[in-house]
Amino acid sequence: MTAAASVVSPAADATARARWRALALTDPIARLVRNAAHAGIDDELFDLRQLALAAVDLVVGSMGFAREATLEEVAEDLTALAARMRPDRAHQARDVAQVVLKGLLNEAHEHRRFTYWFADLSGERVEREPYSFRLLSLREAEYGPVLVASDQAITLFLHGLDVDLEDADRALAHVLQRQLDDRRFDAAVRTAAQAERTSVGIAATLSELLDATRRDVGSHDWLVDVPERLAIARRHVEERIGEDDRFLEHVQSGLDAETSGDVRAASGRIVDLLGRVRQVHLDLERRLVGAREVFLAAQVRQRLAKRRRLRMLALGEDVLRPALVLPREQAVEVTTAFADRSLGVSVPRLVRFDDLLDQLWAPPRQREAVEPVTEEAGLDEAAEEDVQRYPAAVVEAAREVLDGARVEPARLSDLLDGCGSDEVAELVLLSALWAFAPDPVADEEEPDGSVELAAGLAAEDDGTRLDHRLARGRDLLLRAAAPEEGGPGVEEDELELVAP
Amino acid sequence: MSNSVAADLTEVRAAAELVAFGLQRRARPVEGSDYRALLDRYRSELRFRDVVDTMAEGLGLEVLGTPRSGIVLAPEPGGAFATRLADLRTMDQAERLVFGLVLLGIAAYAYPQDVDFDDPETKLVDVVKVDEFLRSAIDTLQGQEGGEGTPEERARAAAEVYADMPQLITTQTGRRARGCTLKVIEDALGWLVDQGAAREATSLGPDVYHLTDRFRLLVADSAGGAALDALRELRAVGGAA
Repeated sequence: MTAAASVVSPAADATARARWRALALTDPIARLVRNAAHAGIDDELFDLRQLALAAVDLVVGSMGFAREATLEEVAEDLTALAARMRPDRAHQARDVAQVVLKGLLNEAHEHRRFTYWFADLSGERVEREPYSFRLLSLREAEYGPVLVASDQAITLFLHGLDVDLEDADRALAHVLQRQLDDRRFDAAVRTAAQAERTSVGIAATLSELLDATRRDVGSHDWLVDVPERLAIARRHVEERIGEDDRFLEHVQSGLDAETSGDVRAASGRIVDLLGRVRQVHLDLERRLVGAREVFLAAQVRQRLAKRRRLRMLALGEDVLRPALVLPREQAVEVTTAFADRSLGVSVPRLVRFDDLLDQLWAPPRQREAVEPVTEEAGLDEAAEEDVQRYPAAVVEAAREVLDGARVEPARLSDLLDGCGSDEVAELVLLSALWAFAPDPVADEEEPDGSVELAAGLAAEDDGTRLDHRLARGRDLLLRAAAPEEGGPGVEEDELELVAP
Repeated sequence: MSNSVAADLTEVRAAAELVAFGLQRRARPVEGSDYRALLDRYRSELRFRDVVDTMAEGLGLEVLGTPRSGIVLAPEPGGAFATRLADLRTMDQAERLVFGLVLLGIAAYAYPQDVDFDDPETKLVDVVKVDEFLRSAIDTLQGQEGGEGTPEERARAAAEVYADMPQLITTQTGRRARGCTLKVIEDALGWLVDQGAAREATSLGPDVYHLTDRFRLLVADSAGGAALDALRELRAVGGAA
């Protein structure tokens, strides 16, 4: 046997892995396009690839900054984009956005990583090497679930080339310098735009590392990897800030001396782009300086804190399977031990006599779902806005929509279509229900504000069907209340809220 | 012992405030809030951390972690803050078993391996997929365990209770009715939402839920171990018998 022969040529082989990875990175998107057909979404009608890239762009673009994009925000933006692609099929836009997001989260494989196998032919024996990656994933932030892009998604965001971002950032600066020297201003605008995206990409990659410094899970190498990466990032950013200033000055001075209109316009765009790049670098530097302190504190804490307990437990194999084969009276001991602990804390509440009396007097109301435990207004929270109430802006917007019906009768479906957001639409819907069938035991603390909004309105059912994204049932006709209205003709249940 | 340290009363008050925030399911440590300041203090000051941990212990609570969404507390069983499955709804043994299996199924579906407990990624679960997961686990067992135990023993196994229950029964309005496994899963996820252990992911579909860091930590550091201990105890008794 001779040593392994080259597959194509030494030069081609040297870059094979990187090029193979660039190919693999786009496969999840090809896969989501294929799967969309099963969900009844036609790729010829909606450009799913562009929507997937838009999702990645939205997430990456928000990652380097203080507040990441929430799942809901990205879903809404994608819905709007999809609706723009096919205004005649706007009703499908939300489904399209869901399919794209689910595909990027790898819903088809329980949200696990995408895995591809590379056949490494460089040695004597063929080695199969897995390449596993995520594109988007979900994290819990203090303001809800947010989307986070992986390094691979950031690569996709930057032309799909598997390059080191910091190297790319530096290389782009050289290219830009060259183009400016050669007075190739149009090319320089494109390079500056690419430089801006690269810096946003770096900010996104580092925000993940900075987040890791705050977390208390031991998934990072605190001794070597994290401090090293922080140091490299800081050196890079500091160097770039100096360069950014020099560039800006260079283009700015050229701009002042330049007389050609085209060149002035191009230079102006370059100045704007470079200004944004500089801002991203400055923000990053500030966060990196802070991260060092957090990191040092975390290092001390990790050294001193006792490890709670080992989590060597494969739930499916070690607990679920054995519990399933146990006789039922024994299994219930295991499952109850698990359930009691997994439900977390409950705050005991004392019954107040007044409340109890009110509850006993109130006519029974049927609920399908279990009664949620009402939250105590605790400590300083009492002064804050009640999360159960609609924000004032939403109430105001709903009032404006409903005021239209006071002037001339309007269909609920038209009112819903005229709402700026789902929250406003929900409140309009509730108010319409209220106008149709007021609840005789309503108290003054009605949390949704629909009582007040529905005042002076009457709703009438003339048999027209409503089939809206948020509600199905009868399309009520709303108008200013007449002195005496007839009793309701259909049950409140007949208008059913569709979970948004 | 000379390692007792007197705690400053203002520190004790701050620690109590942090524990109180942990008990409120809707409190969120957003930038600039008191909650966030206390949480950062807990993360960075070892002394304050000790005061909080000690105070929580005295109240029958354990601090499991401090992810971005806030401090996660686990109750001591039998303590003032403990939640019992039986408190949520009156149910007979079979119903309690199915609910317990469903909660265990949700956790096993989301965190099949130990490494998943350390992964801060928020897991998504879908009502129908959890049911499929449990039913396929039961099918695999029934396929493999064909020869094990007498037919009578197999008929009494917990898996049969779940397998016997229909997947779906609907009400007149087309909703899921009680008595089917999909409804049990929906209710169990509803409880988890009420407990701050899950959230509805309506932007991904009507039956999709996120499991929060709170659920991950509760399962990893409290519930999983408790279930394993219960299993070991049963095996010890069985082995001794």
